[in-house]
Amino acid sequence: MFEPVDDVIERIARHLRRPVRIDPALDGRVMREITALPTPGGATALGKAWGWLTRPHQLTLTPLGGLTVAAALAVVVLLSRMDSSAPGPPAPPQAESRAFQFVLVAPRATHISLVGDFNDWDAARTPMRRAGSEALWTAVVPLAPGRYHYAFLVDGSRWLADPSAPVARDEDYGEPSSVLTVGGGGS
Amino acid sequence: MGIRNVGTSDAALVRRVQTGDTGAYADLVARYRDRLGRYALHMLGNREDAEEVLQDAFVRAYRSLARCDDPERFGAWLYGILVNRCRTAGPRAARRARRFVHDPAALAGPDGRTEWDDTVRWALARLPSESREAFLLKHVEELEYEDMARLTGAGVSALKMRVKRAREQLQTMLKEAERV
Repeated sequence: MFEPVDDVIERIARHLRRPVRIDPALDGRVMREITALPTPGGATALGKAWGWLTRPHQLTLTPLGGLTVAAALAVVVLLSRMDSSAPGPPAPPQAESRAFQFVLVAPRATHISLVGDFNDWDAARTPMRRAGSEALWTAVVPLAPGRYHYAFLVDGSRWLADPSAPVARDEDYGEPSSVLTVGGGGS
Repeated sequence: MGIRNVGTSDAALVRRVQTGDTGAYADLVARYRDRLGRYALHMLGNREDAEEVLQDAFVRAYRSLARCDDPERFGAWLYGILVNRCRTAGPRAARRARRFVHDPAALAGPDGRTEWDDTVRWALARLPSESREAFLLKHVEELEYEDMARLTGAGVSALKMRVKRAREQLQTMLKEAERV
């Protein structure tokens, strides 16, 4: 004898209602795609102020087997221009800093610091913060035009650099690092 | 930017994204990833297609965020986008699914759980897509018919009929599977 319809349906529904876990790396893939897009609702004054001024400089980190960081990837995006275009005397170079957002997907990390020329490679100065997702870490750093070496310090001991970004030729640090060039003007 | 607040409402996050805080969108993605992923997985029948459609839905939602009239209902609005993306991707996923043969005996584990899981997936995949959609929204996502109507664009009566047919077909297919 078969079960009544309602019992069968309820059994199927219960089975299908079980939680499904989607790979958290999907968050990083979505974020990589949207950083190339214009800000939605950019018509507002604040939106314009914070609108993207250029396409993002995107960095991808390959998974490093055996490390605490799994399926890691990083994105560096230009967040906003910090200087003013208002008429007046030319601003000094330091006023041309722009905010760059560094995003790293590292689901298994417990602490990450962004280190580079901009903070004297001091791991205490720019800790990255979880961005809601258990996998996503972000930090924002104002950068004036120039060339910067940087890396991610994961759990206090593991250095991550971006293999798809220009590799730092400087061997002074003895650890892998990447290069980010911030152009002057509007680029 | 700054520390994300786990308790931040959808509306607050949507407004932050609309004003240029792209990082806030990561919170929305993390919040809805698994729940929407479940629907996509059951609708399309395989994880690869489900993740592709889910990613596409999140990106499309971001692009259209300025048109999200009621940020408090971001979740429902996002759900609507996913339902549409699943409809578009459905035929491709169905073609792929036909390559698999239902053989519960070959897949059964010692406790039978694998067989049951496979049987449910097999039966679900054989439902017409409209019936599968209605069944999942009603019995798995546990939506009211009025909400289903808003999401799908179908009338309540039509949705009730699709759910009824889906239930009958599932019952028939499970009988069939038990005979194998």
